[in-house]
Amino acid sequence: MFKYDYYRAGTLDEVSEILARHQGKARIVAGGTDIMVQIREKDKRWEDLECLLDLTFLESELRYIREEGNQIHIGALSTHTDLERSEIIKKWIPFLGKAASTVGSPQIRNRGTIGGSICNASPAADPLTPLIALEAKVVIHGKAGEREMGLKEFYLSQGKVDLNEDEFLKEFVVEKLPEGAVTEFVKLGRRKALAISRLNVSVVLMLDKEGSISYARIAPGCIFRTPDRVETAEELLIGKKPSEELWKEAGKEVSDEMIRRTGIRWSTEYKQPAVEAIVEDALAQAAEMIG
Amino acid sequence: MAQGKEENYNVIHKSKPRIDGVEKVTGRALYAADMYMEGMLYAGVLRSPYSSAKVTKINTDKAKAIEGVEAVVTYADLRKKKSWAGYMYLTDHIRYAGDCVAMVAAQSKSLVDDALAAIEVEYEELPGVYTIDDALSEGAPLVHEEYEKNIFTDSMFHIRKGDVEKGFEQADVILEREYRTQYIEHSYIEPEAVLAYMDPNSGLMTVQASAQNPFFTRRYVSDILGIPLNKVRMIQAILGGTFGGKEEGIGLVTARAAYLCYQTKKPVKFVFTREDSFLESAKRHPFRLRYKIGATKEGKIVAFEGEQVDNCGAYNNQTQFMNWRANVHSSGPYEIENVKTDTYGVFTNNIHSGAMRGYSSPSLIFGQEQLIEELAEELNMDEIELRKINCLKDGSITATGVPVEYVILQDVMEQTVEQTDYTRKHAEYKKQTDGRKRKGIGLAICYRGCGLGAESPDASGCMMIANEDGSVSIASGLAENGQGLKTAYAQIAAEALGVRYENIQFPQLDSFAIADSGMTVASRGTVMGAQSVRKAGEKLKKIMIKNALELRAFSLENTGLTYDDLTEEDVELKDAVFFLKKHPEVKVDFASVTNTCIWTGKQMAAYEWFMPEDLPQDHATGQGKAFPTFAYGCVVAEVEVDMRTGYVDLKKVTASHDVGRAINPALIKGQIYGGIVMGQGYGIMEDVAPKKGRVKNRNFDSYILPTSMDAPKMDINIFESGDPTGTYGAKSIGEPATEAVAAAIANAVYNATGRRVRENPCDLETVLLGKKLG
Repeated sequence: MFKYDYYRAGTLDEVSEILARHQGKARIVAGGTDIMVQIREKDKRWEDLECLLDLTFLESELRYIREEGNQIHIGALSTHTDLERSEIIKKWIPFLGKAASTVGSPQIRNRGTIGGSICNASPAADPLTPLIALEAKVVIHGKAGEREMGLKEFYLSQGKVDLNEDEFLKEFVVEKLPEGAVTEFVKLGRRKALAISRLNVSVVLMLDKEGSISYARIAPGCIFRTPDRVETAEELLIGKKPSEELWKEAGKEVSDEMIRRTGIRWSTEYKQPAVEAIVEDALAQAAEMIG
Repeated sequence: MAQGKEENYNVIHKSKPRIDGVEKVTGRALYAADMYMEGMLYAGVLRSPYSSAKVTKINTDKAKAIEGVEAVVTYADLRKKKSWAGYMYLTDHIRYAGDCVAMVAAQSKSLVDDALAAIEVEYEELPGVYTIDDALSEGAPLVHEEYEKNIFTDSMFHIRKGDVEKGFEQADVILEREYRTQYIEHSYIEPEAVLAYMDPNSGLMTVQASAQNPFFTRRYVSDILGIPLNKVRMIQAILGGTFGGKEEGIGLVTARAAYLCYQTKKPVKFVFTREDSFLESAKRHPFRLRYKIGATKEGKIVAFEGEQVDNCGAYNNQTQFMNWRANVHSSGPYEIENVKTDTYGVFTNNIHSGAMRGYSSPSLIFGQEQLIEELAEELNMDEIELRKINCLKDGSITATGVPVEYVILQDVMEQTVEQTDYTRKHAEYKKQTDGRKRKGIGLAICYRGCGLGAESPDASGCMMIANEDGSVSIASGLAENGQGLKTAYAQIAAEALGVRYENIQFPQLDSFAIADSGMTVASRGTVMGAQSVRKAGEKLKKIMIKNALELRAFSLENTGLTYDDLTEEDVELKDAVFFLKKHPEVKVDFASVTNTCIWTGKQMAAYEWFMPEDLPQDHATGQGKAFPTFAYGCVVAEVEVDMRTGYVDLKKVTASHDVGRAINPALIKGQIYGGIVMGQGYGIMEDVAPKKGRVKNRNFDSYILPTSMDAPKMDINIFESGDPTGTYGAKSIGEPATEAVAAAIANAVYNATGRRVRENPCDLETVLLGKKLG
């Protein structure tokens, strides 16, 4: 059994102070839906854990979803349920709410937070792909103040994000999508609830007056070492009219990109056709929303 | 309910509320893990991470030095390392990644954890075998020296009926197929738990354990301590599910707790973590089924040959029973003149396989009910028609060479086919050639020998006591496992004795209250086990009527009768009232008679033993009557398959079962609902998938079960056959409820996709690619 201390921080600065004091051997607990499980499983990453730092008492500082001009700010302590129910998200970036609604079970969604999910850095995290599609920025709080960087750069590798010893994730900032843009999130799991994504994908589409695609984002999950959009697939859509054939081409481009980046692996035989299918689904369903 | 002649029952044949329902749904039921005693210790075990190894060195000094750690016991300390059933309490010869080398007792759970971490063990890894094919291959390492080629010879059974060579000569079509099934976990909500405590004066060791078969578990305690059985008091704790799983594993846990209690002279509580439970509880046997079937072009099956091999894992004392049943049912619910099958288990360095709801049948039916459809396709014949021609009917001769009676299988199937619009849907779905999501409908029929049959004695005992206030206590050698046994027994006891359901109390089994009546397994509880309850009730009824007459309890004024005119035949006891059959107005309450009895020293208790008919079978040919009777069923599954991801969405299941007589229709439905979802897990997503003997899926985050969101719409039909064999005509339902579901799903997937899944389950990869990935 790992033995560690338990701290509550009263202010954001105190969080950084405690983190700094433990030099990488403190871990933040937000909802606890990942960390508590990992500690119970004696995950080697936490062998030297000195303390768990509980942020749940900083709700007024860190749990919010708000509009600021053209931006949406999402506090790191916002739960999946918060995302699922937010009118702001529903209005401007609905696929993030949908992705959050597919996480775990109601109990897990009530506890698990968006900040925790992203800092746990699982490539299968459902809210990850909409945020990548939106080119979200993260705001990081440290002893020296705050810094901002792209989520894509923030996610270093499975289980690892770009935080210094004194730093923690404070919020996500995303630009509102242009009026008329539609979004979709599609997930493939082994069952209808409490399912970890086998594959997932987030897409954004917008048409110009002529009905040609003027804006596209495609961010697949679970297939790359670090989350990313597939810009070649997006480019392929621009200027073209929505069609089943076009979605097929985009799906193919995504699976080609997967193989280019990760090579042929034991699971490729399945992932290749399946990822094509869900990319096509997501694009087709998004296009349908445009009508 | 269909069929079934109406009988005038007072208590049975009615959906009485569960006797233990309120305490369970309100969370007030006390499970073994909820129990607490002052000064009790907690226990834990250290497991080998290797699946085949020798321990070369073990050092417990550091663990023993930890304050609060009160016992550290290794294999070297145990006089008896090997349990009576073959499994190891502790061992230095590792045969699977789950074998234990040491156990500890300490003042807290975290100290247990610290102590286990402080034990230093060195292993020498040895080569191992994991699959059936590997175990049987030339020169494979032996899991047990005494079993050549890893074949568990005690589990070998044969059917030799007719002459298959001749049979195949008559066949116009001969088909050979291989099917395989996987390891799955029981997934009961409550992991294994026990509290052991000792009376220091008498030396009586009491264990309260989540044991499916309390007497079976008691044997482990006596075995490890080397004390007589009457020095062990076993009280069954309320069970949070078992499904066949709390047999060997809980025996080991209970024995270890008792041993640590004996060593420390303090109460010891041992509660498995979910991971412990995954690592040490038995799993469903994976089978490799090779079948050859021959039929005439008219659709008459003339020969059947089969080899059924199951993976026993590292230890076993159930595979022989498993395989005996598999042998009896090896050619499915069909009458075939020439049958030759061999069934045997092989040892491997995996977690042991054991009893699980359905025993071997879910695996066999997965193969057999696909085989029959593959044959129909070869014959260019309707698969329902082929089943009709060959399925068991009244007077049919089974694979073990005896006729069967009260067979309503064909009716059950035909009604289910009609109700589900199977024929139209099947034909229509078969034509689907495009479309992302395709529909499929699939059917499977089944039959199941009720109770233990010739496998082992199906005898049981019941003690019934009427108290002075008219309340009635019963004790049975069979145990409540969550299936509703107490409720069914209370109904049967009340019916047989002639009192009200509410009059009966039936506490948890106590080994000092009743004699060992064998295991609560094989769906035998109601059909066979309750026979002794009925007998005890009927006997006590006679005694109480005699008492009522001897006590002159009736007021005979105005009847013109005297007590000299009355015999026991003239009196009836029903609904807790004695009355004269010819003068029903002359009556007296049960409670007033019992009250007089206690002060006059009258007998108010009966103990009865039920012994079923003898079922002799020939070992070499498997011929002879195997079971007193069979239960028949038909399951139709409707699916929607995503052709591009392989996702199987189970939309609807219609399950029709011949239950003989429905003792409690609501509980029967409950059993069937659960059985369907369990079958869904087996058929679509569950797989323990050990890698080189190591179980990686050790909790429900990675071991995928159907959730309530996945459960299909379910339609249930209860059939009553009028067969008088079982208690009040009841038949088995616990296992029939789940056994044919996976086969029906596989047939539905084929109907939708045109792809045969011959290796269970129909998971994403297998359905899309037609093979297991990796």
